Amino acid sequence: MRDNGRVSDEVLIEMRAACKRFRTWKRKEGVRGFFANFLAREWQTVSALEGIDLTIRRGEFVGLIGANGAGKTTLLKCVSGITPVSAGSASMFGCDSFELRDEHKRRLSMVMGQRSQLWWDLPAIDSFRLLREIYPVPREVFERRVAESAERLGVADKLQRQLRNLSLGERMKMEIVGAFLHEPDVVFLDEPTIGLDLVSRETIRRHLVELNRSRGVTIVLTSHDMEDIEETCRRLVILRQGRMLFDGALVDLMARVYDRRAIEVHLEPHSAGWEEALAPLLEPFSAKLERSAPLSLLFSVPASAVQRFVPFLFERFAIRDLAIERHPLDMLIRQIFQERGPGAGAAP
Amino acid sequence: MSSLLRDLRLLGIAFVYELRKVTAWRAGFVVRELMRSMWRPLVMIFVYRAMLLEPDARLGGYDFPGLVGYLILAASFEKLLFHQRGLDLADQIFQGYVTKYLTMPVRFFVLALARFVQHIAVQGFVLAVLWILGWLLLPQWWPQPHSAAAALSALTLVLLGSYCAFLVCFVVNVLAFWLDVIWTLSAMASFVFSFAAGVLVPVSIMPEWLAGTLRWMFPYWAVSAPVELFLGRLDPSALSHGVAVLLAWIVALELVRELAWRRGLGRHVGAGV
Ligand SMILES: Nc1ncnc2c1ncn2[C@@H]1O[C@H](COP(=O)(O)OP(=O)(O)O)[C@@H](O)[C@H]1O
Ligand SMILES: [Mg+2]
Repeated sequence: MRDNGRVSDEVLIEMRAACKRFRTWKRKEGVRGFFANFLAREWQTVSALEGIDLTIRRGEFVGLIGANGAGKTTLLKCVSGITPVSAGSASMFGCDSFELRDEHKRRLSMVMGQRSQLWWDLPAIDSFRLLREIYPVPREVFERRVAESAERLGVADKLQRQLRNLSLGERMKMEIVGAFLHEPDVVFLDEPTIGLDLVSRETIRRHLVELNRSRGVTIVLTSHDMEDIEETCRRLVILRQGRMLFDGALVDLMARVYDRRAIEVHLEPHSAGWEEALAPLLEPFSAKLERSAPLSLLFSVPASAVQRFVPFLFERFAIRDLAIERHPLDMLIRQIFQERGPGAGAAP
Repeated sequence: MSSLLRDLRLLGIAFVYELRKVTAWRAGFVVRELMRSMWRPLVMIFVYRAMLLEPDARLGGYDFPGLVGYLILAASFEKLLFHQRGLDLADQIFQGYVTKYLTMPVRFFVLALARFVQHIAVQGFVLAVLWILGWLLLPQWWPQPHSAAAALSALTLVLLGSYCAFLVCFVVNVLAFWLDVIWTLSAMASFVFSFAAGVLVPVSIMPEWLAGTLRWMFPYWAVSAPVELFLGRLDPSALSHGVAVLLAWIVALELVRELAWRRGLGRHVGAGV
């Protein structure tokens, strides 16, 4: 029996000083370019991951966030053995990820938001039948699992429909049904909620949390949406330009920086905008100016200061519109980055 | 042993899936598939007619009806040979569809093999229909097997040769991990192939230095030799020679395939961002 929702000591995933570099060449245009492409290719090296150290234990629910191009997908590909690391090591179940054998692969699953793991031209149920044969899952168990998870995700009536004819949200739910059919120990989900509506996102998040809690499935989920992470993960890993900026419990992070709000102010045309001289006035509120344009300002303030800060803003500026939001991801990352100092995550 | 059984099971399922896909084709596809490798032999019939106008004119031991029989047989066997269009692996590599299989406990080659089996099944069926029609409608032109044994040896060679062709297709496609000119390569390969196979001109009437070289190549044993065996123009002992050559080719190609696939995966970066 797996212990319910608790993290065990067993290490399932490990990366040590892992690096991934992609070599690409610049395609040149025109007739001369055509020959140059053959004779003298201009090679470029893109460093997608740099010195990643990561240990994930059985039962964890890890959120991997970062802006586009931060290296989230690359990290999943290296760990799951789709592509080898360029330096360092990546392993799963104690075996080098790129050398995983069938008995290891039967214990993992991959869901990619941007690319289907199911068969595009088949109804979902037929894809599941193929998966049943690939992983082998006994027939009765298979029937029960499909029925259960399709029901829970609300797609039971869409099983017979060709995958290409499903909406994005329905398709993603099918992918998730398929990914858990063989009861894997580890599931990777790469941006599973990208482009989905709120209700679908919520359903998927709840389903994943439930599976993690009741079955102890280890889940690694990437997203560039903080809300996904906040509602599902207990542990957070932040990537920036291929380096790890933060790795720790989500609650710790939230306590430190996530009690801030972003206040965006739009000013009346021709009114007085921001001036440097105003900076000292922000200090009593512990507020910071994040961005200023002639007609719009973005402040970051502790949640506790919002009540006093907003009247101050109305007093100072001719405000046409004002919005208060929770700290968005990019501000959060910038903040952590500043805390760590410029050396911590900067490109070499 | 159990992994072999699992591969076989998967092969069976993937074959049914491929068959369903191919039979869901639109009419245009079916017609094209029926007509494939038919028009060139038709042109050659007229060429040979023009060359052999005299009543007893012969070309390297063939009279005109003999050549027509050869062309019909060669076209039929060529249909059984696996061809480039049957395997869209290079596209699958470019577009990243192979990525998903890399985290699944499957040997990707088994799925590709299902294409081969599907090809043989579908083309075998098409040919059976074609030959029944041929014997009924054109009994004086349609070739007759020299003996049942001759027909059987011919088919054995064709099937082995078709598997060689499949392996070559697979290897050329796997080059997509390195190159993006796969279509050019495979067009060139199929041109060389149909010449070396003697699809339009029997290898036995080619100059001896050329014919001698081609007898070491698998295309010859996949088309031209089986045709002549079928017609009784080649001694039945040629069967063992042909099987030996083809098996040697299969072993070599299997090694190349394994190596290319391994190396290719090392360069694979996976689909998706
Ligand atoms: N196949 C590839 N070839 C070249 N560069 C790549 C390739 N895949 C990813 N990259 C680069 O690696 C970096 C990380 O990409 P990725 O892991 O897809 O980011 P994310 O998933 O966080 O958006 C990006 O700069 C991207 O351009
Ligand atoms: Mg990504």
